[in-house]
Amino acid sequence: MKKIVMLFLVAALVLSVGGCAKKAVVTPKIGVAIYKFDDTFMSYVRNQIQSAANGKILLSVQDSQYDQPKQNDQVDQFLVEGDTALAINMVDPSAVSVIIDKCKTKNVPLVLFNREPVAADMAAWDKVYYVGAKAQQSGTYQGEIVAEYWKAHPEADLNKDGILQYVMLMGDPSNTDAKYRTEFSIKAIEAAGIKVQKLAEDTAMWDRVKGQEKMAAFLTANAGKIEVVLANNDDMGLGAIEALKAAGYFKNGKYMPVVSVDATPPALDALAQGTLLGTVLNDAVKQGQATFDLAYALATGAEVKSDVAPLALADGTVDSTGKYIWVPYVKVTKDNYKDFLAK
Amino acid sequence: MKNPASTSWSKRINARSIREFATKNAIILVLAALVLVIGIVKNGFLTPDNLVNIMRISSVRLIIALGAAGVLISGGVDLSAGRTVGLAAVVAASLAQRPDYASKIFPNLPYMWVIVPILAGIAAGLLVGIINGLAIAYLKVPPFIATLGTMVIVWGAASLYVDRPPLGAQPIGGLRTDFTNLGTGSVGFMPTIILIALIVYCIYWVMLNKTQLGKNIYAIGGNLNAAIVSGVNVKKNLVTLYAIAGMLYGLGGVLLSARSGGATNNYGQSYELDAIAASVIGGVSNMGGIGTVAGVLTGVLIFEVLNNGLVVLGISAYWQQVVKGVIIVAAVAVDIRKYSKKR
Repeated sequence: MKKIVMLFLVAALVLSVGGCAKKAVVTPKIGVAIYKFDDTFMSYVRNQIQSAANGKILLSVQDSQYDQPKQNDQVDQFLVEGDTALAINMVDPSAVSVIIDKCKTKNVPLVLFNREPVAADMAAWDKVYYVGAKAQQSGTYQGEIVAEYWKAHPEADLNKDGILQYVMLMGDPSNTDAKYRTEFSIKAIEAAGIKVQKLAEDTAMWDRVKGQEKMAAFLTANAGKIEVVLANNDDMGLGAIEALKAAGYFKNGKYMPVVSVDATPPALDALAQGTLLGTVLNDAVKQGQATFDLAYALATGAEVKSDVAPLALADGTVDSTGKYIWVPYVKVTKDNYKDFLAK
Repeated sequence: MKNPASTSWSKRINARSIREFATKNAIILVLAALVLVIGIVKNGFLTPDNLVNIMRISSVRLIIALGAAGVLISGGVDLSAGRTVGLAAVVAASLAQRPDYASKIFPNLPYMWVIVPILAGIAAGLLVGIINGLAIAYLKVPPFIATLGTMVIVWGAASLYVDRPPLGAQPIGGLRTDFTNLGTGSVGFMPTIILIALIVYCIYWVMLNKTQLGKNIYAIGGNLNAAIVSGVNVKKNLVTLYAIAGMLYGLGGVLLSARSGGATNNYGQSYELDAIAASVIGGVSNMGGIGTVAGVLTGVLIFEVLNNGLVVLGISAYWQQVVKGVIIVAAVAVDIRKYSKKR
């Protein structure tokens, strides 16, 4: 009998504490988990989310340490704490259905960002959104920079055959960004009405030294024939520029257009020096801002919209029922590189 | 150098002596054959520019491989070589940034003599080498494990070094030209980087062949117990050896960042395996006690001729790996015959 009374007492205590905890969290709060803190790009995104939230709403930002089970525990913790919206940067985007189910059960809206899940998972619930950049666009913008240069500089066509002869330095060929940049940069050049011919293509695994070594070999194999150099990232592009310098380029009027992606500080410096023609920025600040705006609207029950880019469908079509915000990349050239220098 | 049968073939030239010559110098013949075949197939390959370029690339690799080969001869192995190269590269590069470069690692970096970043890089390597030597000689940690440990530690240290607020981890660029001249400039007609490698090569040859330290290293690697019994101070010699190896990796890292005009924490990744492979191709026994600096040079050149030649030939990135692996194994299989013949 005594035991049963005790049991009731304990149960009542637990329930009342639980009740109190629930009542205490009436203020909206957003739980944020980043796949890993030591990713440079994500730390820019995270900084923007935090500064956007400053003074507006409470945030809890967690480091998932490249560990999906850990991130799942963090999501559980957010939901127990009564967060009113979550912004999750998945460690493993293919494991998103578990997290969507957790949020659906508690009816807490979910914003996924930067690491994109497949459309089928996104369709599982109407309160799950995605903020990110379309990798294809980084390639397209590279191609557009090249096409613009090519049309403005007829002398770039060294052999006057009307065909753009290029070499391509690829990142890790198993990486989707590398594939998209390689494919869509060329598509954009062709879309501008320019015929292209590939002289050489090889992977330099995102690496500056390898980019330099491969470019030197390209120059050997195609002496005087290369008209444009495309690189999947800045490090490889800058390596290629070093190889070109060794071969006598960038002095005495000898020039080679080189384009890359990322807009790292060394690349901005190369733009200033006039060696790099252009690079493409994945806009971390806008991605962080769009992620926060969306999560904030969902957490406070405000209208869901974004100033960064309109709501869209998975294919990029603008649609008010859309659940995607595609943050645009930015072309960076000699004209605007100063806007991106570190403050 | 140690060449036990060097008198038997010099008098008469006949079929047998040619065969003996071929067996004994198989690895040099492999190199010559590679150069000739690639040169015939692709006529740009045998140009002075390309050959000098291959030698520039080989210079860094040779310096690293000499350090790794000394360790192999002592019966050890040094897995920390590649990451130490990376640490030295970021340390040196961070101290050699232009004053007007926008995103310096040290925003208030004063102008320093160019020798400072060079020595700082070498010192970073030396420190790693001493730690390796102490752990192996005094703590009795097997070289494989000790250097595996430092490999991971050094990679972490290099990452921490570049990951500084407010910019976070990023490539280091904007290096001063008096620093990059080490990698790209010339002394008279001689490229500086090749000159440095030649000097290091000569010093290392003297060290291995003409000093007590060199003799002790062969003795330790050949038969450890015999070395101890005959009064070799194994501990002191090992610490010195690993320290020298570390300095060479440090110098390699300095030259690598000078040649490529930048550095990231990923520099030097897996260079230890290339260095060990080049040493073994060049006839250094991975069991210890056997090996020559000339062999290491040949091994490095085979590696870099392949790296450059396969790109010049336009072979796809995946096939390059397959071909390289096959040639490495085949080269060693041919070379090893000179030892099996003697039995």
